[in-house]
Amino acid sequence: MLKRVLVVMVLLGALALLLAACGGGGPDTIKIGINAPLTGDIPKVGEGTKYAAEMWLEDNPELEVGGKKYKVELVIEDNESKAESAAKANTKLITQDEVLVIVGPQSSKQAVPAGGVANDLKTPMISPWSTNPKTTKDRPWVFRTPFLDPFQGPVLAKFATEEFGAEKAAVLYDVASDYPKGLAEYFKKAWEEIHGPGSVVAFESFTTKDTDFSAQLTKIKNSGADVLFLPQYYNEVALIVPQARQLGWDKPILGSDSWGSAELTKLCGEPCYGSFFSTHYVAKGAKGATKEFIDRYQAKYGYVPDDVAALTWDAMNIVKKAIQDCGKITGDIEKDRQCVRDAMANIKEFEGITGKMSFNEQGDPIKCAVIVRINDQGEFEFYKQVCPEGMQ
Amino acid sequence: MASKLTNKAAFFKQTPALGWLLTGLVIAGLEMAVGKPLARFLGIGKIPALFGFLIIFKKPSLQFPFIFNDLGIIAGVIVYDILIYLLPLVLVTWLTYRLTNRVAGVLYRKSALLSVLLHILLLYLVLRLWTDISTYRELVTRLTMIAVIVTLSLNVINGYMGEFSTSHPGFMAVGAYVSSVFTMALFTQSDYFGPARLPASLAPVFFPIALILGGAVAAFSALAVAIPSFRTRGDYLAIISLAYMFIVKSLFENLEVVGGPRGLGGQPDLASFPVIFVWMALGIWIINNFVRSTLGKALNAVRDDELAADAMTVNTRKTKMTAFLFGAFWAGLAGGLLAHVLRYINPGSFGLQKLAEVLAMVYFGGLNSVLGSIVGAVSINLLGEALRPLELYKWIVIPVILILVMIYRPTGLIAFREFDLVEIVKPKEIKEGDDATA
Amino acid sequence: MSATEFFQNVVNALQWGSFYALIALGYSMVYGVLLLFNFAHGDIFMVGAYIGFFVATAFLALFASGVGIITLPSWAILVLVILATMFLTSFVGMAVERIGYRPLRHAPRASAAITGLMIGIIFETSILAMFGAQRMKFPELLPGLASASQPTFGGVIISWQKILIVGVALVLMLLLQWFVSNTKWGMAMRAMAFDFAAVPLMGVPLNRIAALTFALGSALAGAAAVLYSMAYPVLDPYMGITVGWKAFVAAILGGRGSIKGAALAGFLLGFIEIFAATVFPSTYRDLIAYSIILIILVFRPHGMFGEEHTARLRL
Repeated sequence: MLKRVLVVMVLLGALALLLAACGGGGPDTIKIGINAPLTGDIPKVGEGTKYAAEMWLEDNPELEVGGKKYKVELVIEDNESKAESAAKANTKLITQDEVLVIVGPQSSKQAVPAGGVANDLKTPMISPWSTNPKTTKDRPWVFRTPFLDPFQGPVLAKFATEEFGAEKAAVLYDVASDYPKGLAEYFKKAWEEIHGPGSVVAFESFTTKDTDFSAQLTKIKNSGADVLFLPQYYNEVALIVPQARQLGWDKPILGSDSWGSAELTKLCGEPCYGSFFSTHYVAKGAKGATKEFIDRYQAKYGYVPDDVAALTWDAMNIVKKAIQDCGKITGDIEKDRQCVRDAMANIKEFEGITGKMSFNEQGDPIKCAVIVRINDQGEFEFYKQVCPEGMQ
Repeated sequence: MASKLTNKAAFFKQTPALGWLLTGLVIAGLEMAVGKPLARFLGIGKIPALFGFLIIFKKPSLQFPFIFNDLGIIAGVIVYDILIYLLPLVLVTWLTYRLTNRVAGVLYRKSALLSVLLHILLLYLVLRLWTDISTYRELVTRLTMIAVIVTLSLNVINGYMGEFSTSHPGFMAVGAYVSSVFTMALFTQSDYFGPARLPASLAPVFFPIALILGGAVAAFSALAVAIPSFRTRGDYLAIISLAYMFIVKSLFENLEVVGGPRGLGGQPDLASFPVIFVWMALGIWIINNFVRSTLGKALNAVRDDELAADAMTVNTRKTKMTAFLFGAFWAGLAGGLLAHVLRYINPGSFGLQKLAEVLAMVYFGGLNSVLGSIVGAVSINLLGEALRPLELYKWIVIPVILILVMIYRPTGLIAFREFDLVEIVKPKEIKEGDDATA
Repeated sequence: MSATEFFQNVVNALQWGSFYALIALGYSMVYGVLLLFNFAHGDIFMVGAYIGFFVATAFLALFASGVGIITLPSWAILVLVILATMFLTSFVGMAVERIGYRPLRHAPRASAAITGLMIGIIFETSILAMFGAQRMKFPELLPGLASASQPTFGGVIISWQKILIVGVALVLMLLLQWFVSNTKWGMAMRAMAFDFAAVPLMGVPLNRIAALTFALGSALAGAAAVLYSMAYPVLDPYMGITVGWKAFVAAILGGRGSIKGAALAGFLLGFIEIFAATVFPSTYRDLIAYSIILIILVFRPHGMFGEEHTARLRL
C-alpha cells in the first residue's frame, strides 16, 4: 500500500515538473508592492489607491531601465486598515514577493509601523497620503508625497484670518484618529500665534465612527467663534456640516485636504456649499497632466478621483523616475533596492499632478497647497494657491 | 481494503511526540537544504512561505472552476508540498517510529521532566529552522506565538471560569503601554521620554521585568472589573468588561505623554524569536498548571454550579477574582511582547476588532482546553495569513468556517481536554499484532 | 452652561437616546427570552439601513410628486418606507436566528454569541463587496423638512426632524409594550423568558417564539435604521458596529429582558454621552460615560430594572 502511495506521488511529481517547466515568471520583472486598506475602516481610500496603481500599470506595463525592458508587476496587499496587518503585509511584500519598492500604506496609523519594517529590511517605501512626521523621521528608506500637517495648519489659519477677518475660531476633530488630531493641534497653534492665547474658543473632539455631534456643536455655537475648522474625512464632514447648520451655525466652515473627495458634495449636499478647504489639487479647472488623469480615471471608474488617487499616481511616477534614474537592474534585489533608494533620495524636484514638489533631507516634499471653495453647484472651485516660503 | 489502510497508517498513531519532532526537524532541514533549488526548479521561484497557500490563492477568481493561479504554478506548489512536507512526513515517521518509541521510553523512564524539556528544546529547533527560511514566516510565527498566550489567558476566564469577558484588548493595551514606557524610558532616546538612562546592552536583562510589570499593572487594573462583577453571578461581567475596554482605549487616547491617538513608536527591538518562544512555553506551562491545580478545579466547580461549589467550601469570589487577575496578567504580558514586535502601538489597535479576533481564537480552538487554545490561535492566525490573497473575501471565508465549527462542534475544535505534557512525551504502545490480524 | 445650552442638549440627547433605545430593545428581547447575546444585531441594524435606502429610493421613484406613477404625500411615503423596511429587516433577523442560533440552541451561549459576531462580519463584508467602498447618501424622505422654519423655544432649536424621530420611536416602544403584555404571543414570550426549560413542555412552540423575538427586535432595528439614516444620512458597511455595541451596553444596563429598562437605559446612555461631552472636554466623553455606567452597575448589578436571576447559565 505504502509503495503504491509512493508511486502515485512520484508520478504526480513528474507530471507537475512537466507542467511547471512551461510556466513561471522570469527575472526580467520589476515588482512594485502596494500596501493599501482595501477592507476595514477606510475601504474607499484603498480602492482609490488600487485603481490609481492599476491605471498607472496600464501606462507602464514595461519599464525601460538601462536599455533593457522589464515587465512591471504590481503586488497589491490589503492591510485591513490595521497597524499589525500593515507591518505583516510589508514584511510579506519584502521578503516573500521580493518587491523592489513599496507604495503605501496610506494612513499614518499603518504607515508609521510599516515604514519601520521597510526601513529595517532596507526596502524603499513611499507613502502617498501619510502626513504624520513620524512616518519618515530618521528613516532614510521611507519617503512620502503629501505635504505635512505642520504646513497645512498655518496655511488655513492665515487664510481664515485674511479672508473672513475672523478673530475667534472653533475646531471640531476626531481625537482617535491620527491625522485630524495632529492637524487640529497645528491649526490651534498657528491661530493662537496670530490672535493670541485663548483665541481658539472651542476645541472640541469626538471619536471615530461617531455620528452625533450635537453636544459639541451646541458648545461651539455658543462659544462665539467666527469660523469653524473641521479637519475631518469627507464622510464625517457630510454628517457634521448639516448638523451644524441645523443647530443654527451660519458662519463659515473651513476644511482640510481630507475633504477633497468627489463624494463630499454628493453626501453632504447644500449645507456644504460655500465652505472652503485646502487640498493638493483641484479637479475642476485642472489643466495638463492633472486634467488628463482626472478624465481618464473618471471615464474608467465612474467618479472623480480623490486626492489619495492623485497622490498615489504621483508616488508611482516618483517610483518610476527613481527606477529609471537608478539606471540598471542587476537582479540582486538588495543592490537594486539600494540603488532605487539612492535615486529616490536624489530626486530634488518633481512635477506631479498634485503640484511641484521638492524633497528635503527627511524624504518629505515641500509643495504648495490649494484653497478650494465649494460653489453653489456643489463643484470644487479653485480659489487661491498658498506656497511655503521660498517657493511659488 | 479500508481496514488495511487504517492498519497501514497505524504507525501514525504509534508515533510518539519525539517522532513527530524528529520528522519536523528533518523536514525543516530538508527545506533548508534543497528548498530553494527545488522551488526554482518547479517554477515557483521562492520557497513558499506558508505551504504555498499565498501562491495558490493569488489572483482570486470567483468564477467557476475557481482557478486561482496558473495551473503550472499550482501544480508546482503541490509537488513542492508533497516532496518537502508530505513525503518526509510519511517516510520518516514510518521509518523511525519504532526507534523513537524506544528512545522516548528510555528518556521517560530516566526522568519525565528531562524528557519534557528535551521535547521543548526540539520544538524550538524545529520552529527556529523552519522560520529561518523567511522573515515573513518568522514574523507570522512570532505573532502567532503571542496570540497563543492571549488566547490561553482568555480561555482561563471564558472557558475554565465560564464567564464572558470582553476586556482582553484593554488588558493587552495596558500591558503594551506600560512595558513600552518602561523600556523606552530606560533604554532608548525618544521624543517622549528624553535620552536613554541605561546602556542599551542591559535592555534584554530588564525586558522580562518590563513585561512582568506590564502584566502586573494589567492585572491590577483588572480589579476595576473584578470587584464589581464578581459580587453576584450573572452576565454583568460581559458589560462591565466591555465598558472597561472602552475606558482603557479612551484613556490612552487622552494620555498625551504616550502619544495619544498618534500612538507610541520606537520600542527597542527586544521581542526576538527565542524570547517570545520562552515566554510562550512559560505561559503554557504556568497556565496549564494553574488550571490543573486545586484552584483550577475549584474554578470549574464554580462554573458548573456556583451554589454547590460554595457549599463545598470553595470561596467562589476569591477563586473567580484570582483567575480573572491571572488571565489579565498574561494578556498584559502578551500585549507587552506585541508592542515590542511591532515596535509601534496605538489605542485604536486595541478595540472591537481585536476583541472579535481574540474571541474567535478562543471559541474556535475549544473551551476549557489548553491544547484547544493553541490550536485555535495557530489556525486562525495561519488561516488569516494564508487567505490574504483573497482580499475582501477572506472576511467571508473565515467567518463561515468559524460558524461551521460552532454548529458542528459548539464548544470548539478541542474542548474540555486535559493537557498533560508528561502524557504527551510518553512512548506510544506498539501493538505488534495489529499488522497481522487484519 | 446656560439654560439655553442645557435645554438644547436635552433635546439633542432625546434624539440620540432614541436610537440607542430602539436598538437596545432588540438586544434586550433576545436576551430576555433566549438568554443570548445577539452580537449580529448592530449589523442587522446596518443591513436595515441599506434596505431602507433601496426601499426609500424605490418608493420615491414610484410615489413622489412629479415623478411617480401615483402621487402620495411625503409623510405617507415616509410611513410606507418605515413599515416596509421593518417588514423586510425582520426577515434578516429571522434568517440570522435560523442559520446562526437555532443549530446552537443547546450549545454554550457564548458559542452562539460568536456565531452572531461572525454573521455580523459576513454582513459587513458582503455589503462592502456588493456596493463597493462608495458610501451611500440616504435620500431625503421629507424634502423641505430641514429648510422649513424650525420650532424654537426660547433660543432652543427643536427641529422637526427631532420631533419626528423621538415621536416615532416612542410610538414604536409603546406598541411593543402593548404587544408583549396584551397578546397571546407576547405572553408566550414572557413565559419563555420566565422559564426556558419548562414552558416549551407546555406546548409553547420554542422555535416559533424565538423567530418571533428576532423578527420583532430586527423590525425595531429596521425602523431605527430608517430614522437614523434620516438624521445621519451617510451609510457605510461598518456603521452598525459602534452603535450596536453601545446599545448592547444599554440593553444590559436596563436589566434582563425588561422593555421599559432597555428603553430608559437607551435614553440614559444618550443623555450621559451628550452631557459628558458638554460638561467636560469632549475628549473625555467615552471615559466619563463608561465610568458612570461602571458605577451604576456597581450599585445595581442587575441593571436598573432587572431582578436577580439565578437561572443557571447553560454552559
